[in-house]
Amino acid sequence: MLRNRIFGTYTFRFMISYVTALSVVVFILLGITYTFYSYEYFTGVNDQLENELDILQHEYREQGLTGMETLTAERRKKSKFDRFSYILVDGQQQKLSGDLSHWPEYKEWSDGWLSFEMSFSDWQGQPQLYNFLARSRLLEDGNQLLVARVSDDVRQNIKLVVGTMTWGLIIMIILGLIGAIITSYMTFSRVETINTAIRTIMSGDLSERIPIEEPIDDFQHLARNINNMLERIENSMNDVRQVADNIAHDLRTPLTRLRNKLSTLETRSAPHNRDMVLDMLGEADHLLSTFSALLRIAQVESGAKKANFQRLSLTQIFTDVVELYEPVASVKDIELTVGHCDDVAIRGDKDLLFQMLVNLMDNAIKYTPDGGRIRVSLEEEGDNIYILFADSGPGIPPDKYAKVFQRFYRVESSRSEHPGNGLGLSLVQAVATLHGGAVSLSSSQQIFVGNETSGLQVCITINQA
Amino acid sequence: MQELVKILLIEDDKQVAEFVCEGLEAQGYAVDVAHDGEKGRQRAIDKHYDLLIVDRMLPGCDGLAIVESVRANANRVPVLFLSALGDVDDRVKGLKAGGDDYLVKPFAMEELLARIEVLLRRKDALPTTRLKVGELELDLLTQKVTRQGKNLNLQPREFRLLEYLMKHAGQVVTRTMLLENVWEYHFDPQTNVIDVHVSRLRQKIDKDFDKPLLSTIRGAGYMLNAS
Repeated sequence: MLRNRIFGTYTFRFMISYVTALSVVVFILLGITYTFYSYEYFTGVNDQLENELDILQHEYREQGLTGMETLTAERRKKSKFDRFSYILVDGQQQKLSGDLSHWPEYKEWSDGWLSFEMSFSDWQGQPQLYNFLARSRLLEDGNQLLVARVSDDVRQNIKLVVGTMTWGLIIMIILGLIGAIITSYMTFSRVETINTAIRTIMSGDLSERIPIEEPIDDFQHLARNINNMLERIENSMNDVRQVADNIAHDLRTPLTRLRNKLSTLETRSAPHNRDMVLDMLGEADHLLSTFSALLRIAQVESGAKKANFQRLSLTQIFTDVVELYEPVASVKDIELTVGHCDDVAIRGDKDLLFQMLVNLMDNAIKYTPDGGRIRVSLEEEGDNIYILFADSGPGIPPDKYAKVFQRFYRVESSRSEHPGNGLGLSLVQAVATLHGGAVSLSSSQQIFVGNETSGLQVCITINQA
Repeated sequence: MQELVKILLIEDDKQVAEFVCEGLEAQGYAVDVAHDGEKGRQRAIDKHYDLLIVDRMLPGCDGLAIVESVRANANRVPVLFLSALGDVDDRVKGLKAGGDDYLVKPFAMEELLARIEVLLRRKDALPTTRLKVGELELDLLTQKVTRQGKNLNLQPREFRLLEYLMKHAGQVVTRTMLLENVWEYHFDPQTNVIDVHVSRLRQKIDKDFDKPLLSTIRGAGYMLNAS
């Protein structure tokens, strides 16, 4: 996990590209050096061989075969790599002279270069296989002269150079990788400190700050700027909260007084006025509850409630809601069934989760006609928890799905028929979001076979990861 | 003559104080009002009261501090918090500080009266495993309920509902009180869920008998008749 995250960091990817680019450059430089080196070497050998051929041809022309043999015998005393080997053959490739045992079967390269392998006795008399580079020349009398030079030293040089290059590259890549991992880990752990702090802050505690350590470098500057930003956010959040509190106090209190006075009035009013006062009381209560709901949504959305999160059984809350509403459903002759009911525990706010499920159940029962069906379930699958509420009511047109979460939005047809303040689903969404979840709506047609109208299915998905 | 029940109300909002005062006096309680926290604390410590009603947000001090210092003097007077702060942790703080009940503003007078009644009676309630109200008997150990000796078959939740009503027989019990104590959730029911549960329970305990025991108090809640 950590390994993957380190390999995914910007620093690591940068270091890898850097090492790769560096390796390519070094490789090219070495290649150029090698080409120059071998070009020089081959030109040198070529000159030597041509020179030798010239001398021998001249000697052969002047002194004949014996002259040439004397000369070659002289020259053969040199060391293995400096000396040349010779062979002179006639038109039928029969050996006339030379220290090579026979006319070799050579490979012919461009520019008159020949190469072959041949066994040769070393200074201890042991036969040994050598590689030769050679050039040949057709003499004036139809005989053919070949001068060869052992090329194993060249091969060894090539091997040495290629080996050095390969090892150099491997070591460079390994060192680069180690360096990449170390620097990535260092930056990663510093970024991670900042990230951890930000995560805590996001989960509700706005007063948290990223620790700043000496010396002040670029990371500490970043941390300091984030802290400054948080300071401002916290201030404005506090302002908003202050305003909300003020609204709570300044508007709710007079409303309560109004309601209380109405309630006193009710006990004192004449019977014919009583119904009107009761109506007014009802209106005031509705206003107050709308107000509380609005304030509650605002509070839930502020994330402040996360501070009180506790580990609790979602299953318990779920079954409590079902049990609470079961009689209501049966009064409306609604068939309330529970599908899956997995044993699920989450961190959350008990009252809010209960309220969320109550709102969903309330809606389902409110909109399902008498004799209809409601199916609820609670499932856990991997990291996800699914809470499903499906009803056989009239449903909501899909183009209105996004709108129903807006505060005070109510589907047109339901305004007159069903009581409500249009805040139920807003709160559901706020609570779901607070618990790391999301609410989605769909048609419940597949749930209830044989249902002509497609009802509504609400799905809350909470990801626990 | 029965001695007058004395209540101290610590509330800075004069209009709320007046409203509460009026409502309480109409019920025959003697009410003392303190408009600021410090005076309220002095009076709560110096004088004898049967009940304290304390607002949370007072100028200069939190109601919690008042109750804490009252409790520090080993005073067991019942305390009811009255507050606009209604979060779970606010309630928990209130109860931890020594409050016995917590009512969130805005509230209805009936709700307040019902809770005061419960708090005043609680003092002499003894722990028991058998509850008896008139013809009704409820055994907490065997989970059996009988009326006139006839067995009543109750669901677990109905049992707890009846238990709560019986413990507060003769007192008005509001819907919110039932939600908080029988279901143990603080939430806002949008429909008449509680009514449906109560009427189910009523079916079981009153249907086959002449005298109804469980009555609805209009605008307030329910009451199980004491006898």
